[in-house]
Amino acid sequence: MTTTPDAMKRDVTTTNPPAAQKERVDCIIGDDGVAMVRLGNADERIVTLTEERLQSLDACLQQLAGDTSLKGVIISGPGPGMFCAGADINLIQSINDRGEGERAAMRGRAVLARMAELTVPVVAAIEGPCLGGGFEVALFCDMRVASQHKSTQIGLPEVKLGIVPGFAGTYNLPRLVGLPTAAELILNGKLLRGKPALKRGLVDRLVPGEKLLAAAREELDKLIATGRKAPRRKLRGMAFWLSRTPLRNLVIRTASKKLSSGQARFYPAPKVALQCCVNAFTLPRDQALAAEARALGDMIVTPQSKGLTHLFFLTERSKRLGKHEDARDCERALVLGGGVMGAGIAGLMAGKGLHVRLCDLDLGALGRAKGRVQKSLDKKRRRRRIERHEAQAVQDRLAVGTDQGNLTRTDLWIEAVVENLELKQRLMADAIERHLPPDATIATNTSSLSVTAMASNVPNPERVVGIHFFNPPEKMPLVEVIRGAKTSDAAVATACRLALRLGKFPVVTADAPGFLVNRCLSPYVNEAARLVLEGTEPEAVDAAMLEFGMPMGPCRLLDEVGFDVAAKVSEVMQEGFADRMLPCELFQAMAKARALGQKSGGGIYGANGKGPGPGRKVIDELRRQRSTPGREASRSELLHRLIYPLVDEAYRCLDSDIVEHEDDLDLGLVMGIGFPPFTGGVTQYARREGLATITAALDALERTHGSRFAVSDGLRRRAAE
Amino acid sequence: MTSTNKDSDLAIVAGLRTPFTKAQGAMRGAAAADLGTHVIRELFDRSGVDPAEVSEVILGCAGPDSREANVARVAALRAGLPESTPALTVMRNCASGLESLVTAQQRLRAGDGDVFVVGGTESMSNFPLLMGPQLVKFFQRLGKARSLGQRLAAIASFRPRALKPRIAIVEGLTDPTTGLMMGNTAENVARKFGITRSDMDDFALRSHQRASAAQQAAVFGDEVVPFVPPPRFDQAVSDDDGIRQGQTIEALQKLRPVFDRKNGDVTVGNSCQVTDGAVAMLCMTAARAKSLGLKPLAMVRGYATVGLSPATMGLGPVHATPPALEQAGITFDELDRIELNEAFAAQVLGCQRAFASADYCRNELGLDDAIGEVDPDKINVHGGAIALGHPIAATGARLVLTLAHQLRRDGLRYGLATLCIGGGQGQAVVLEAA
Repeated sequence: MTTTPDAMKRDVTTTNPPAAQKERVDCIIGDDGVAMVRLGNADERIVTLTEERLQSLDACLQQLAGDTSLKGVIISGPGPGMFCAGADINLIQSINDRGEGERAAMRGRAVLARMAELTVPVVAAIEGPCLGGGFEVALFCDMRVASQHKSTQIGLPEVKLGIVPGFAGTYNLPRLVGLPTAAELILNGKLLRGKPALKRGLVDRLVPGEKLLAAAREELDKLIATGRKAPRRKLRGMAFWLSRTPLRNLVIRTASKKLSSGQARFYPAPKVALQCCVNAFTLPRDQALAAEARALGDMIVTPQSKGLTHLFFLTERSKRLGKHEDARDCERALVLGGGVMGAGIAGLMAGKGLHVRLCDLDLGALGRAKGRVQKSLDKKRRRRRIERHEAQAVQDRLAVGTDQGNLTRTDLWIEAVVENLELKQRLMADAIERHLPPDATIATNTSSLSVTAMASNVPNPERVVGIHFFNPPEKMPLVEVIRGAKTSDAAVATACRLALRLGKFPVVTADAPGFLVNRCLSPYVNEAARLVLEGTEPEAVDAAMLEFGMPMGPCRLLDEVGFDVAAKVSEVMQEGFADRMLPCELFQAMAKARALGQKSGGGIYGANGKGPGPGRKVIDELRRQRSTPGREASRSELLHRLIYPLVDEAYRCLDSDIVEHEDDLDLGLVMGIGFPPFTGGVTQYARREGLATITAALDALERTHGSRFAVSDGLRRRAAE
Repeated sequence: MTSTNKDSDLAIVAGLRTPFTKAQGAMRGAAAADLGTHVIRELFDRSGVDPAEVSEVILGCAGPDSREANVARVAALRAGLPESTPALTVMRNCASGLESLVTAQQRLRAGDGDVFVVGGTESMSNFPLLMGPQLVKFFQRLGKARSLGQRLAAIASFRPRALKPRIAIVEGLTDPTTGLMMGNTAENVARKFGITRSDMDDFALRSHQRASAAQQAAVFGDEVVPFVPPPRFDQAVSDDDGIRQGQTIEALQKLRPVFDRKNGDVTVGNSCQVTDGAVAMLCMTAARAKSLGLKPLAMVRGYATVGLSPATMGLGPVHATPPALEQAGITFDELDRIELNEAFAAQVLGCQRAFASADYCRNELGLDDAIGEVDPDKINVHGGAIALGHPIAATGARLVLTLAHQLRRDGLRYGLATLCIGGGQGQAVVLEAA
């Protein structure tokens, strides 16, 4: 195909010279009557469906429709590793009117529908991301051929941005693969790689990347030869029964149940998307498509969509943090400390291709560390997410030992031992003696000690940086990268790059007690404990926060973290911030009574988090000692006393340069403590709630409860603006 | 052979091993490649040497799994060595681990490389049961059958005796040219030199006593690294488990002979144990070690490999020692330590008698006189395979490793590591402390 001499090709889009056109599609018709449509130019790394590109596609398809010698069309991305990443998210964010959203959907769909209206067959050749609008382009094609390359990802992730597919995705996909599969993919925004995409019927053929265009041509030629526009398709078996008959109510019921429980209940888009998918079988095509466009218009203006879109941009911003000319990619790491954190970090690194050595004096801990990694690998094996040799390679990359050995070849040294400044300083000195190269990064996973103090005796202290993972490191998506007083930009960028490689979002913070997350969390859990002691039941406190959208209530969170840790952290916070973070006496009392939480067989809640735990006695005892009578706080009081101080503390972090930007607050608290993602983050939430409302409520609380609710100058100033 | 230029002598700069654990025991889930991978990775983590320096990886393995026939290559890649580094698995039965060192020495003299990883790895737990040709034929016929009739005929041709497995470990320890099991060759040696059951049991007891004293004094701490075995990876193994701390002579005396049940004296108690384990050592020229800032443990000064009657293969060390000493340019009396593999107590004792026997040395080796008396305080001072076990291809390398550490620790100069080899061979290496 590509071997056709240029002179024999007719270039349809050439009113201007074809080169140097951005956001245009490129169409070349060979003299054999086959048009090759590329959704972008070769120099475009990411292709999105902007207004301009849609227009260009429209023009191209119109021209093709008028070409009587046309035999068939192949649609591909601009080059290897990219098909089309979907609609332009800036565009999605800019739409603030239902009607505008609906019209945009109809316009776009009309363009794409021209492919189906062509009388000749159209085959999509997919490699790389084929997402959202991009997949909707492919769905309008008569056949889809995909590359096995690992960059290939196919799906409709719109719900992750709080919207629904708008270019007939909720119509075409269910009719192609059946309601159950389509609902699973669309409602969860799930993306599939080549092999599962083939298995689920999203694509018709899977080939090695090098043969992609040849295979697409082969399939096109077959269709041309048989004179058919599209291969004959029919839903079969369960897919048929669960889509085309009233049995589909089973699918609807199961999905609805899942969508109205837990965190899912805060998000309207998946429920709307489910209805759209059902419409594909219950309504005539025109009505179903009109309903989809309307749904998009409805969803695109929801605060949830705006919040999620905002977060999306923040995660993209976070991904750029590793860019610095002196930043390095760490390949060989030494992790010191085989506890939950150290073992988790080491396992994560081995999983992402680093050669890791995990060291601890306790052989038992090392065994448990490898065992934990194996358990998660076994799980992935059972789900066929990885092959046997890949699992084996992860374990091979994770060496464990009581001896750190010779560190000549180590480029990242990170400690996760007990929080003891002297010990950490000694271990860093010891690492230097073990020939750790002068340019290797030295990192600490401390959550409460000063990175600057730790670096005080290290030669080249500019390479000492805090990399604070959260517990459990395998699951928590945030990493705080802590810049000590002497830490260089290169070391910060190296740490960020590592975090990104491990699949985490880095947030850079200054070196101050609690950094960002624990500092903001501190008033929140302190106040929760106080509310409990004042007479509100822990269940009520947790329920209020779950209703607010937190993934876990503060009492349960304390049980997970452990009261020993809470007591220790709160001491550090008090040292740093005096009365504002005066620890609630509950922490010490629980730690003393060894009702630590999950790790000790129960705290506020029982073992395994079920029922009341041994800590209730401690609570009752403390309640009895109080002079004031107990009382239950109302829902709004709970919200004001728990969330508003957190908001104030977040702004304090910004004003004292713990973080650089409001965006860091938003991303950090969503990823770090699970602040509801649909709010778009803490500052977005605060602005929607009204800064003046928050300060007023805090002022009132200060009058009744004292100075811990005092509003910061920064927040007051912002509220006045 | 004459002594060669000392610049081309191999320096052993680092070495370590897994614990040696009983077959079907703590490390049974680990295949030979798993063990090999671990020791190679540890070797580089601990020495800090860049694996890209390595010219070739040479590992011994007597029974590699069919999935990893060239175990050395599999282990090297999995341990993170560059893809461009070649790897070779050598097989000389019981001496495979020593053979890897000899091969490296030969490569060095030939000018083919100057930095080597050598050693041996063996998972005797994973020696398979094999299915005989009858079953192979049955499956072939079934596979080719097309029609229902053919298939039924094929199925009907099945005979239960086709399921009788061949036991690889038993077959591997049987000499195919004489039909003798290794234990029977030890009985031959015992008869030849009039070694009694009680001599053997005394020797076995001493092996356990010496090994357990060494274990308690943490002598093996220099060489053993803990290993977390698959498939669950949840428990670290850090100690050799074949050593019996409270071994008594009475317990050994109670055991029945296994190879010659009626008239024999060789029991499981005075034979080596069936064991899993791996050893890796980093070897290079002394000059290269210096430039990398490494201090050698010991130098290889001579080696020899010889053949003898398969029926008395246990005497291999006696035959291999004189040429190895000659190459090193030293006499038997100059040896400060001897590590002679304890395949069987009968065979070690037989070697000791043969070394001291003028008759044997004249008649069998063509020497003028006896090689020399073996001082019991110089041979296998930390016990041997009767206590520690004999993971076939790992043992030769373990002897060298143990010997090198001994020479350095005790401030001694010359040492000999030697093994008898099933099939009628002997191999010996002379080390000099560096």
